Amino acid sequence: MNCKELAYMLADYFDRSMDPRLREELDAHLAMCEPCLVFTKTYQALSDKTRLLRRHIEYEIPPEVAKRLETFVRAAALKYPEKVREYRDQVERDRREKVADLVRAVTAGKLSSAAALLMESHCAACPECREYFDALRKTGILQAGDPPEGIRSHVIGLMQTLPPGEEFFLA
Amino acid sequence: MSAERWKEDEALLESLRKGAPGGVDELLRLYQGKIFNLAMSILKNESDAEEAAQDVFMTVIRKADTFQGNSAFYSWIYRICVNTCLMRLRGKRRNETVSIEEFMPVFTDQGMHASPMDDWSKEVERDALNEELGRMIRKYTEELSEKYRVVFVLSDVEGLSNEETAKILGLTVPAIKSRLHRARLYLREQLSRYLREGKAG
Repeated sequence: MNCKELAYMLADYFDRSMDPRLREELDAHLAMCEPCLVFTKTYQALSDKTRLLRRHIEYEIPPEVAKRLETFVRAAALKYPEKVREYRDQVERDRREKVADLVRAVTAGKLSSAAALLMESHCAACPECREYFDALRKTGILQAGDPPEGIRSHVIGLMQTLPPGEEFFLA
Repeated sequence: MSAERWKEDEALLESLRKGAPGGVDELLRLYQGKIFNLAMSILKNESDAEEAAQDVFMTVIRKADTFQGNSAFYSWIYRICVNTCLMRLRGKRRNETVSIEEFMPVFTDQGMHASPMDDWSKEVERDALNEELGRMIRKYTEELSEKYRVVFVLSDVEGLSNEETAKILGLTVPAIKSRLHRARLYLREQLSRYLREGKAG
């Protein structure tokens, strides 16, 4: 081992990941090479000092920055759940609106052919929906809050199965 | 990472997820200083670090309930901080950094040390030198390009293991070790020069 090789292996030497045979070789080199011994000692001293002087090396947060940051984070934390709730409410409103539109289109016979096909095959398999839509087509009256929760979730499921690019409603 | 710190992190995460009022206080108490320090060591500019810290805490609050407990909380928040800061650096003209190559040890063709070697290892044990040394180590750290700087700060200043640092930065352990070693070689060289020449003046 020469000095250059030793210098490039020092990290392994200090974190003890070095192969024991190499370690012996390195120790043997250190025992007879003054510059390498000094190099190694100062390398180690730097590491030790860095750890010891952490407080001097780290950047302390200035009080006014800390204060601003605190105000910001507190406000953000308060606002955030509110924002999420608002967003979720909006999504829910949009969805109800869409489902109502679809149900209206069913009664008015204005579903696109793709959507009508989906609806038909679903109703063939789902007595609950079949009954509901049959009754609706007869009366043609849509109550506030229609359709009931069970039907709504089926309709939402149906809407999601419509292939992209297909429209729900007749143009 | 101590067991106590880990427990604190667990409790913190739990109250953040629940949106408990104490959660934010605890988050600030445990991480405000650390995040600002880490952001400063990457960005080297106070107002940039402040903005980055805001972004980091926003992200933590927003994502606390989706955080998967398969890594430690501190390593998650450090990773968010590192990514936030590197993203900011990307948008900017890089600060001039010293070429690390110029300050690697020099060897003869036979692989022997080419320059004289001063032993200052005993000298720096004097506590009276601590403040000055700390300042110089920080200064030389700032001269490193961020690739070396982040690794040196996390591993040697903050005292994280190479494995922890690798996880935070998304790099392999050998890559961390190699960067860390080069950063130390650079700092050792600069500190030698400083102790030999600079201090005399």
